[in-house]
Amino acid sequence: MKDSQYVILKKENFNGFITGLSKLHKLVAPVSKGYNNYSFEEVSSGKEIAIKYIPTILPPKKFFMPQQETLLEYDISKDLHTEAVVEPEEMVLFGVHTCDIAGIQCLNMVFSEHPKDYNYLTRRQRIKIIGLECNEYCDEHAVCCLMNTYMPDGGYDLFFTDLGDYFIVHINTRAGEEIIEAINLFENAEKSHLEELEKLREKKRTVFKKELPIELGSIPELFDRSFESKVWNDLDERCLACGNCTMVCPTCYCFDIKDEINLDLSTGKRYRVWDSCQLEPFARIAGGINFQKTRAGRQRHRYYRKFRYPVNKFSRFFCTGCGRCSRACMAGIRLKETLGALMESESREVNA
Amino acid sequence: MKRPKPKVAFFDFASCEGCQLQVANTGETLLDVLDVIDVVEFREIMSEKWDRELDIAIIEGSITDHHAEERLKQIRERSRILIAFGSCAAIGGVNGMKNNFDPDEIGKYVYGSDYHFFPTEKTRAVHQVVKVDYSVTGCPVYIPEFVEVLKAVLQGIPYYVPDYAVCVECKLNENVCMYEKRVGCLGPVTRAGCNSWCINNRNMCYGCRGIVSNPNEKGAKDVLSRYNIPLDLVLKKIDMYNKCREIKNE
Amino acid sequence: MERVVLKESAYNIKKGKILSIKQMTENEKLFEIALEGGESLGHQPGQFVMVSLFGVGEAPISLSSSPVTGGSFELCIRAAGKVTNALHRLEAGAEVGIRGPFGKGFPVRALEGNDLLIIACGLGLAPLRSLIRYIFDNRGDFGKVHILFGCRSPGNILFIDELKDWNKRTDISFECTVDQVDCARPDWIRYVGLITTLIPRVQIEPERTFAVVVGPPVVYKYVIKELLSRNIPERQIFLSLERHMKCGLGKCGHCQIQGIYCCQDGPVFNYGEIKHLKEAF
Repeated sequence: MKDSQYVILKKENFNGFITGLSKLHKLVAPVSKGYNNYSFEEVSSGKEIAIKYIPTILPPKKFFMPQQETLLEYDISKDLHTEAVVEPEEMVLFGVHTCDIAGIQCLNMVFSEHPKDYNYLTRRQRIKIIGLECNEYCDEHAVCCLMNTYMPDGGYDLFFTDLGDYFIVHINTRAGEEIIEAINLFENAEKSHLEELEKLREKKRTVFKKELPIELGSIPELFDRSFESKVWNDLDERCLACGNCTMVCPTCYCFDIKDEINLDLSTGKRYRVWDSCQLEPFARIAGGINFQKTRAGRQRHRYYRKFRYPVNKFSRFFCTGCGRCSRACMAGIRLKETLGALMESESREVNA
Repeated sequence: MKRPKPKVAFFDFASCEGCQLQVANTGETLLDVLDVIDVVEFREIMSEKWDRELDIAIIEGSITDHHAEERLKQIRERSRILIAFGSCAAIGGVNGMKNNFDPDEIGKYVYGSDYHFFPTEKTRAVHQVVKVDYSVTGCPVYIPEFVEVLKAVLQGIPYYVPDYAVCVECKLNENVCMYEKRVGCLGPVTRAGCNSWCINNRNMCYGCRGIVSNPNEKGAKDVLSRYNIPLDLVLKKIDMYNKCREIKNE
Repeated sequence: MERVVLKESAYNIKKGKILSIKQMTENEKLFEIALEGGESLGHQPGQFVMVSLFGVGEAPISLSSSPVTGGSFELCIRAAGKVTNALHRLEAGAEVGIRGPFGKGFPVRALEGNDLLIIACGLGLAPLRSLIRYIFDNRGDFGKVHILFGCRSPGNILFIDELKDWNKRTDISFECTVDQVDCARPDWIRYVGLITTLIPRVQIEPERTFAVVVGPPVVYKYVIKELLSRNIPERQIFLSLERHMKCGLGKCGHCQIQGIYCCQDGPVFNYGEIKHLKEAF
């Protein structure tokens, strides 16, 4: 096989594929939780899967960097004995949208950077990713066209595109190829299938429109000029500092490190748990000084961590356009509106 | 290494004793707990009493009259560590609703015309009467948190109730947000630490753990109006557990 | 679930044994710690370590000793939070976990051959002592050395015996001030007032002087203003910023100042390079 190749899976074989795959690996896919909410859960049949879904409550980062994970186990009963550990799990993620694949690519960069995070990397190694194309917008919160994440761009093992009666599947890695080989339900893609795929992509280019009138390349400069913007004060009045926007963000990875001891008071573990820069105590030091006292400052920090700081550090935006932060905000802080307000307040100042 | 087990007693004041019941119902964990502490008084599970010095006094209930105040002060005096246990003890809890009313009016309502034989005071949380070393909030207490606090006591280190919203833990548990269901959940202003217990079980948050230290009141009101949830309903809900926060320490 | 032991994990700790503990003030103690097997920590002045007490947690603590000392290292610890309070209850012989050293320390090479104005406020003396001791160990490599120290009251003076010696040394100049006198004041503490009042008293040649300042956040604003008014170039001012590092690895986000991670990019910074960072001070 060549390293880049297409096969097709007829819809009538989809359930067989899922059932077969779930027998080989722990298989995780989007499932409905009601109220148009979805989450990635373990599945064993095709009918459990929500093929059409809007971004899940939590992004797939929860498998690469679980909400809570052990870093170190200790025993202080005699001598101090410690062992750094990770408890990884082999699994296949099915149905990952391109925005979430982009999120995983961001996290890969963060945790591969020196000093490497072996907990993340060990888990990453054991997870296979099967992408699923969005043929149309999920809802009005997405900014995936602006962020240029609405088309597949690597970062997966297999990639599924729904073309009516069948899925066309792009095989991107040897691991992906092994899945195709193990489940004998795929057929070679013909030229006509590839033409159908190309037609869909053409159509997508007309359906997905840049959600804001700004070039991606000018966003860093917009932020360079916006640090003192009044837009942040508006967010200060609205934000509840609940942390929802960061918990659901596919590229937020801040964490706290805590110790837990067993009732024997000598064995226990050190673990990390997702933390959020939006929370009041996040930047407080032991003496009591809080370096991020205001909700305005904390919200600003969040936006700069998506649109400005990582551009320097990783040459990449850390917003994937998935829209989760906007969906999860009870106060109605919408990413699209915040960016729009920054652009507008700037043009107002220029014209004034 | 065998350490001497600390002597622990449970006491109840104005409360439903439901928090102690949580401990009694803990199951296997209770056996592990009993391995490291020596329970000398706990009227829900044993008939023995203890009137001597204590390592740890666990207080359930709020303080609503001068008898309670005296008794609490005596317990404090003979206890090395005192834990306010459950919302009634830690923040005043539902008994605080009494503070909404005129004391005479409420006395008459409960005891009839002879109410002056039953003098009563404004409801107070335990820390509003004596020094509290540790707090386990919650109605009822969340047993994993109680065990964490107990371990902190045994280690001699402080335990801090998280000063951020229940939403944090609720998101970690990937629950569908109550506001998606148009329910006026108090999660966004209530202190975490319960692992979003109620919402995990499809109930909303009633604010039983107390309000975060710096809530955005205006923002929270805006959220309610965005979702067409009546403000006075939610304010009443907040008062259900949090009325005592209005009392300043004398 | 699989369980993989990570020999290369950055969360592994080295075992450290507390050799001695010395009460310095009411709230500060000096811990001398040796790594297991006599391993050298190999730190630079200005770096920090994460100190672990298992079951309690980790805290970032700056190194107070000169790397030249070798076999052991010293940490001056204020009882401020959960971990540091628990550390204060330990006795000599106890074991702690050590990760690090982390971060960029003072730019010792850049300082060599130049005059130095070292300004320490309160607990800021803890990291600066590692630099000062290094300078004493290599005195010939540096030009004139001025040390200014300020703290709240005579009772808060750290390393008081050493300060007495510094006061007697002829190869440096040393001055000490206290904000207020609420207990007996040793006669060598000549001044009462804020640290900024000492700066105009020092004789310096600004173009060949490097200033190194460490103190609580509020001090930086005023001290730096004073240094600039003495014509010390921005690029010749170094400072160390305090944040609550949780991982020390540039990941957890707690010590981030705009795009910079204090634990990896700092804690020592060149003032000229970070003065534009609005959230730094």
